[in-house]
Amino acid sequence: MALFERRDHLPLPPKGAKTYNTVCQYCNVGCGYKVYVWPVGEEGGPGKDQNAFGADFTNPQPPLVGLNYTETMHSVVQGRDGREYHVAIVPAQDSPINRGDYSIRGGTNALTTFSPTRGTQDRLRYPLLRLGDQFQAVTWQEALTLMGRVIKGIRDRDGNDDNLTVKCYDHGGSGQGFEDNYGAGKLFFDALSIRHIAIHNRPAYNSEVWGSRERGVHELNYDVSDARLADTVVLWGANPYETATVFYVEHILPNLKGATLGEKKAAFANGEPAEPGYLIVIDPRKTSSLTAAEVYAKDRVLHLAPRLGTDYILANAMARVVWERGYYDPDYLKARTDMTLFEDYKKKSLKLGTPYDAFMDEAETITGVPRAQIEQAAEWMAKPKGGGQKRRTLTIYEKGIIWNMKNYDQVAAVVQLAVLTHNIGRPGTGCGRQGGHQEGYVRPPAPTPGSIFNGGPPVNVDKLLTSGKGKFYWVIATDPYLSTPNSQFFRKRIHERTQKLTEALGRAGEPGTVQAWADKILQVLYEDPDALFMVVQDIYMTDTARDAHLILPAAAWGEANDTSINCNSRLLRLYEKFTDPPGEAKPDWEIFKWVGMRLAELYRADGRREEAAKFEFGKDWKTDEDVFLAGSQEFKDNAVSEADEATLEAENYKGVTYSFLKEVGQQGIRTPVRRDPATGKLVGTLRRYTHRFGSSDGKFKWYGTDDWEGYPPEVDKYLKGEAPERYPFWVTTGRAQTIWQTAYHDRNLPEKTLALPLPYVEVNPEDARRLGLAGGDLVEVYNEEGNGTFMVYVTDAVQPGMLFLVMYHWRGTSNSLTSGYTDPKTTIPWYKGTRAALRKVAGALPSLHQTASTLQQNRFE
Amino acid sequence: MTSVLTRRKFVQLSVASVALFSAGGRAATWFAPSLTYPSIKAGNVAKIEVGKPAYFNYPDNRAQAVLVKLGKPALGGVGKDRDLVAFSASCTHMGCGVQYKGERFVCPCHQSMFDPAKSGQVYQGLASEWLPQIPLRVQPNGDVVATAVEGLIWGRVKNV
Ligand code: SF4
Ligand code: FES
Repeated sequence: MALFERRDHLPLPPKGAKTYNTVCQYCNVGCGYKVYVWPVGEEGGPGKDQNAFGADFTNPQPPLVGLNYTETMHSVVQGRDGREYHVAIVPAQDSPINRGDYSIRGGTNALTTFSPTRGTQDRLRYPLLRLGDQFQAVTWQEALTLMGRVIKGIRDRDGNDDNLTVKCYDHGGSGQGFEDNYGAGKLFFDALSIRHIAIHNRPAYNSEVWGSRERGVHELNYDVSDARLADTVVLWGANPYETATVFYVEHILPNLKGATLGEKKAAFANGEPAEPGYLIVIDPRKTSSLTAAEVYAKDRVLHLAPRLGTDYILANAMARVVWERGYYDPDYLKARTDMTLFEDYKKKSLKLGTPYDAFMDEAETITGVPRAQIEQAAEWMAKPKGGGQKRRTLTIYEKGIIWNMKNYDQVAAVVQLAVLTHNIGRPGTGCGRQGGHQEGYVRPPAPTPGSIFNGGPPVNVDKLLTSGKGKFYWVIATDPYLSTPNSQFFRKRIHERTQKLTEALGRAGEPGTVQAWADKILQVLYEDPDALFMVVQDIYMTDTARDAHLILPAAAWGEANDTSINCNSRLLRLYEKFTDPPGEAKPDWEIFKWVGMRLAELYRADGRREEAAKFEFGKDWKTDEDVFLAGSQEFKDNAVSEADEATLEAENYKGVTYSFLKEVGQQGIRTPVRRDPATGKLVGTLRRYTHRFGSSDGKFKWYGTDDWEGYPPEVDKYLKGEAPERYPFWVTTGRAQTIWQTAYHDRNLPEKTLALPLPYVEVNPEDARRLGLAGGDLVEVYNEEGNGTFMVYVTDAVQPGMLFLVMYHWRGTSNSLTSGYTDPKTTIPWYKGTRAALRKVAGALPSLHQTASTLQQNRFE
Repeated sequence: MTSVLTRRKFVQLSVASVALFSAGGRAATWFAPSLTYPSIKAGNVAKIEVGKPAYFNYPDNRAQAVLVKLGKPALGGVGKDRDLVAFSASCTHMGCGVQYKGERFVCPCHQSMFDPAKSGQVYQGLASEWLPQIPLRVQPNGDVVATAVEGLIWGRVKNV
């Protein structure tokens, strides 16, 4: 009995169907996909030469190697010509990244196409203007005039742009790329000078990994092949089975299974031992990446579960083991790292002044990780192999490190451990992010500061707004009502502030012309300093948009050409446009261009020609490629030798054109791209930092981390007096493979909404027994920051006394409970640690229990 | 509704549906079951034990299906405990054969897991579509008969 409509027959694309190359719109892995579009009424035949797939469907496809074409990989769209078209989006078999594989997220790419008759009918089609409690369609003409007049009114009155606040992505994928990022950068940093800007998933404009970059190591430095060649893979606060799925199952797991031994033998120096890979998982939870690996290689998998927030102490302890046992190469350190700064590292991080036993006792006490495990992990990472050959270890970290307490020190400690053991710049090594989404940053320099060591930390724009500052808030392609830390408080304050403007505008009757609107808005904003004007630019009506005054409809993935790089290889590819945006929706870069052009007109009308000229940055941008090429001018001259790749920006693509990318197709080119001085040809960079680091003198810059100082006041308050009894659980948060980010598309798909109707909380079986909880029960999880109703999953993934909340669910975000703490060095939040209480909710929602599975996850045996 | 088809009749039927579809010029939805499926015996209630999967071929001998008695009521379950369910045994991810391991199906290739009590729902793993469920009918003599496939069997563009 199907719970939703299923199909038992799919049409095949006929030969001659339009064919496009693209890359999955979702995660960091960047799996290649092929798109086929053809008119309804035409159909290909099952023979290999009868369909555009070139696949033989006269017999069932062979498992694993056959073409994947499933129910979720087909949809029908309405063309602007009034005809219906079939769209098939299937994993690319010629992609070196996924080799035809796909995940539960990317497998549904086809279902995210706009259709007036499916869930995606909710896409925003026209600009919408709030009139009291309603949104009404307006034209772009009017929307742009309103934007222009309000922005200009504020900056003219203030003489600066500090009351203009922005929240905008800085990445690729998800329908963004270099093009949109450059459009944003030109408007916000060249034409305007926006200092109060925050990135999509955090409250400030910052790198999440300054702790690495300031050492001379960009966070994307390894290649996908390194995951196949490594002797040991370390997953530190990264759970790729859920969040970098195909990378894990196509490249890391095969290494553990021994399926890449041939590649190892070919790549390693003569006589260097090669064996199936080892895996170290450092995570407070028994993640699915851990338990899936245990299916294949139980004795080659090690799990370290440090107490929340203590990872940097653990990293330093592993480094100390390395030091004591001499698992490092002094010549390498001398040649390639800054030995003056190394003294600081030895003193503060390795604490060579403290005897080894005392140091290790202390590390064990702080982290809760037994000394024997710390030592074993250090061995697996760095103990030389037979014949004295250096071990090859690839360390992949992600939000468990980044969104930890003390972001800067956490990231620095992990990278330093890798460099100490020369596990970077060699085949099978590297130390970098797993990544969340794909990347695609190219912008003029931002007027915002760096970390505390470089003029910062940057302003916490959430706190600026909740404290009543700022007058204009432009939220672009992100949903901070779900995604920002301490979001319950944030929602309450933004609602209050936007409502003040809404009410004041309605009080004397809504103005009738755009000019009168703008004037009235400006008048209210300066009469009531708490009032706030909010613009949301997105593809759907987001949770944040419900309080917006103006909503701008944007194009999504596949509705414009764009370019991005993935995270495991910095692989740059072209994501081809294969369908039109709905209604009047436009690519972000074009919206930025037109806002700029309208401001230019307004300044020209004022006779301020110079100011006007600044805003005409996009006047020659006719196509996506124009923006791509304009962006490339921001990069350094890339005619450098291979040894000097480290001097280039990680995303440097100077010289690359769309036609180049069309030619290389799924093979792409790895950034930083160089124009080889010898041949004049464009070449990619397989792996970084083989010859030098990305610092001014090419040497790695050591840093002495802080001592353990306990928890910050925002969380420490739950550990004082009677608070631990009132809030008895540690809480950590994270993602599930099924849904992407705020599930903006997934919430329209029955496959996803039936399976995950509510956000869930993982509870250890011991705690569940004590509290009388069973899978599928509803509980309220609450603390002094906020609360939410969660569905219970009973699982030993979490330890007793710890809860895990899935992030960003549309029926309640875990971020309602997270604190407002950010690292004082970087303004990066600690999304993954707080404390809370849990109570069983009276009654039940039997329909949920009936349709949603509560079988235990992470149990594969 | 369902009957055992001869090969010849099957061919005629499919030709007819293609013709209909092309003439209309609109997208056929092909909501399952949109095809004519054979009725095939998958087991007998007297012989099926809780937790012991019985594999059978359905809808033709190139497709493996699996019948299980869950020991607890299931969506679409038949029999007096409404706990008999059957599914295509080809993982909807990349076609490997799923294995029944106490309450659930697990795929050995990339660990997708499906809940047989909840319509073959993917509750973890890579498969983006649920396992196709096979509606069952219990005959007076206790025979459990497969009657259709609700969902596309991996590796095919048409179930029959
Ligand atoms: S692993 Fe990531 S990139 Fe690949 S299909 Fe899944 S979501 Fe897309
Ligand atoms: S084939 Fe079943 S999980 Fe991949």
